[in-house]
Amino acid sequence: MLEVVGLNAGYGPVNVLEDVTIRVDEHAFFGLLGANNAGKSTLINALSGTVAARGGRIMFDGHDITGLGPEKVVELGIIQVPEGRLVFPQMSVIDNLMLGGYSKRARGQRRQRLDEVFDLFPRLAERRSQMAGTLSGGEQQMLAIGRGLAANPRVLMLDEPSLGLSPLFVQNIFKALSDLHKAGLTILVVEQNLHLTLSHATRCAVLERGRVVVEGAGDELRNDPNTRRAYLGL
Amino acid sequence: MDMFLQSLAQGLLIGSTYGLISLGMGLTYSVSGVINFAHGDLLSLGMFLALACFTAFGLDPYISVFITFPVMVAFGALVYRFLIRPLVGSHVLMVIQLTLGLTFIVQNGLLMTFGGMSHRVPSKIEADLILLGDSVVLRSALAVAFAVSVALAGLLYFVLTRTDTGRSIRAVHQNAKAAALMGISVDRVRTLTFALGVGLLAIAAVLLTPGTPLHPSQGLRYTVISLMVMVLGGMTNFAGILLGGLLFGIAEAFGTVYVSGTSGMIVPYAMFILVLLLRPEGLLKRRAS
Repeated sequence: MLEVVGLNAGYGPVNVLEDVTIRVDEHAFFGLLGANNAGKSTLINALSGTVAARGGRIMFDGHDITGLGPEKVVELGIIQVPEGRLVFPQMSVIDNLMLGGYSKRARGQRRQRLDEVFDLFPRLAERRSQMAGTLSGGEQQMLAIGRGLAANPRVLMLDEPSLGLSPLFVQNIFKALSDLHKAGLTILVVEQNLHLTLSHATRCAVLERGRVVVEGAGDELRNDPNTRRAYLGL
Repeated sequence: MDMFLQSLAQGLLIGSTYGLISLGMGLTYSVSGVINFAHGDLLSLGMFLALACFTAFGLDPYISVFITFPVMVAFGALVYRFLIRPLVGSHVLMVIQLTLGLTFIVQNGLLMTFGGMSHRVPSKIEADLILLGDSVVLRSALAVAFAVSVALAGLLYFVLTRTDTGRSIRAVHQNAKAAALMGISVDRVRTLTFALGVGLLAIAAVLLTPGTPLHPSQGLRYTVISLMVMVLGGMTNFAGILLGGLLFGIAEAFGTVYVSGTSGMIVPYAMFILVLLLRPEGLLKRRAS
């Protein structure tokens, strides 16, 4: 469904991604692993169109979408839940979710989508008129995911959803992602948290200094020496 | 007491228009991070456009605003698209220099076109007066200015809080990257708000013209007022900016009435320094972010 072929990308004089190739199948729960600076966020931002590709192709449903701007990518249903959540702090929970459903693709069914989000995260329904900036970190992550779901995603891409959260909240978030996956959503999650990702994802790839070093099913990667090396730098 | 009420009313009325002018500046600043030093001169341009409509077609400024508003919106969009946008992301001084350069172009363009003497744009209602109670006399034009300014501020508030366009403007203001990930075209929102901010000036220009002599060099005064009102309001707090406008208008009116001669003109500036000392974060403190 989503295919990255020989992608190069970076900022200024620095090349972050070199010849990255991954394939995310429809209904997959794809985990993209790697240490800090491995290029995970750059990859996800290149997919969203906020970082320009310098070479290679990005294919979606067989169409070349390389170089499309973020608003076009969103209209295709490729939705990013950014690192650090980036909720709109001085807006209410409900306004944040309304913005999630801003695209033409989602606008028509926004009310229904919001109801689904509130079913998934009842906590958000309780705090619907609270300012997003006053929510706890875990609640903000729920809101960021809910905002992504409001966009009517075909692929939901999450950048470090466990960042800065208590272990209990991290479990909750991954449980919710698993439920969404079972309901048929395609998920691409970027994580540092190795074991958590391996135990939830159906397929994983490990990035090391901008290159894919291992790719395979979760269990295969757990014992692959390359995985350990990419993480520990051994 | 009568004098007090009279100057209070006068200050409130003119202050509402100051608030409206600064709102345009604050809107642009909050969404694009651009402080437009040409703001007052664009207001001046709006006034001279009203003058041109009068001399060419004999149009009352309250009628010609339906022409000058779209013209100014289009002009604002062009200025953003071709002058300011290429500088987004570069050093903040670059944009400031650009808008300063724009003030010279507008000012001298007006000087070349209309000459250096003062002008007046007559309107049917400029001589009308309203009697409030038995002691307060107001010029109708100021009452209209107040009503329109308050109505526009209310409309702006409604749009910002209740519509998708308004939410997208606030989203770009609060986090441009996240806004782009929502499918919002950040560039379009910035162009739109800049154009709207300039368009508001066309309306404010008409509200100010009756009874105000026009001169090509008047822009700077309004730029300074807008800047101060924006700072009073806390830069991006729209309710605070409106309040700041009212406060500035009242200080100006009291200064004129109660302090003799030109030293009365110091009063609003003294008030500004006082507020900065006591509430450096602006009149209305932002809620925790």
